Amino acid sequence: MTIQQILEWIESTHLSLAIREGGLPYPVLGGVHLLAIAWFGGVLLASDLRLLGWLMPQRRFSDLWYQFQPWKRIGFVVVVSTGLLLAWAEPVRLWGSPNFWIKMTLFALVGVHAWVFHASVYGQPEKMDAGVTSRAKLAAVLSLALWSGMVLTGRLIAFDDSFEPKIPDVTPVTSHADGH
Amino acid sequence: MPIEFYRWLVNSPWSHLLNSSEWVFPVVQTLHFIGFALSIGTIAIVDFRLLGLGMKRQSAADLAADLEPWTRLGIAVMLITGPLMFSTDAVAYHYNPSFQFKMVCLAFALLFHFTLRRWAVRSDAPPVAAGLVAVMSLLLWAGVVAGGRMIAFI
Repeated sequence: MTIQQILEWIESTHLSLAIREGGLPYPVLGGVHLLAIAWFGGVLLASDLRLLGWLMPQRRFSDLWYQFQPWKRIGFVVVVSTGLLLAWAEPVRLWGSPNFWIKMTLFALVGVHAWVFHASVYGQPEKMDAGVTSRAKLAAVLSLALWSGMVLTGRLIAFDDSFEPKIPDVTPVTSHADGH
Repeated sequence: MPIEFYRWLVNSPWSHLLNSSEWVFPVVQTLHFIGFALSIGTIAIVDFRLLGLGMKRQSAADLAADLEPWTRLGIAVMLITGPLMFSTDAVAYHYNPSFQFKMVCLAFALLFHFTLRRWAVRSDAPPVAAGLVAVMSLLLWAGVVAGGRMIAFI
C-alpha cells in the first residue's frame, strides 16, 4: 500500500465521510476544538505567565501547578482528539499542506520540550518555589512560542493553496468570512 | 446608515492592510485566538471554581481578583483584533447569522461579566447564585466561540 492509498482509505471510512459530508459534525468538531483551545490555551498561558513571574507571583508555583494540572490534561485531551477527528476527515488535503506539516513538527517539538524540561522544571515544580530559575523561564517562553505557532499554522491551513473548493465550478474563496 | 459605514470600513486603510498579504489576516486571527484563550480561559477557571470544580486552594474571590487583569488584557486584544477582521468584509459579516449570534452572545457576556458576575465572585454571594452565574457565564462565552467558528459555515 502506498501512502496515497492509505490516505484514500482513511477518506473512504464511514467516520471520515460522516465528518466531512455529514453537515453538522465538521463545524461542531471545529467548535469544540476551538473551545478546547480557549480552555487549554487559557490554563497554559496562566501557568507559563506564572513561570515568568507576571501572573499570581504571590502564590507558590508548585501550588498553582498542581491545581492547573488536571485542567491542562483535560483540555489537551479534548483539543488533540477533536484535532485528530478533523484531520481524519480530510487526510489527502492535509498531507499536501506544508502548513499542516509545520504544525505537526511544532507538535512534535512540544513533546521534545516536555521531555527536555521535565527534570529541571515540570517534574519537580517545588524547585521553583524558592524562585523561578532562568531555565524555567526559557521553558515558558518556548512553550508560548510553540503553542502560538501551532495556532498560527492551524489557521494558515485554512487559507492554504491546497485548500481547493469541493465543487470545481465555484469561484475560489476570496472572502475570509466564507473561508474555513 | 450601517451599510454605508461598513463599506467605508471595507475600504479603510487597516482593512487594506489586513488584505495586503496572505499572512496578515491569519496573524491577526492568531492574536485573536490568543486573546480569547487568555480572557475566556481565565474566566472559565474562575467559573469552574465558583462551581466548586478545581483551584480550591484559594477562594473564588482571590482567584478572580488575581486573574482579572489578564482577563481584561485578553478582552482588549480580542476587541482590537476582532473589529480589524470585521473591517475586511464588514457587509458579509453583518448579514451572517452566525456572526449576529456571536455579537448578541458577546454583548450579553461582557455586560454579564462586569455586572452580575462581578457580584457573584465576591465571597459573600450565596453559593447557589454564584453557581448559576458561573453556568450562565460559561454558556455565553461558549456561544461567542461557537458562533465565531460557525461564521465560516453559515
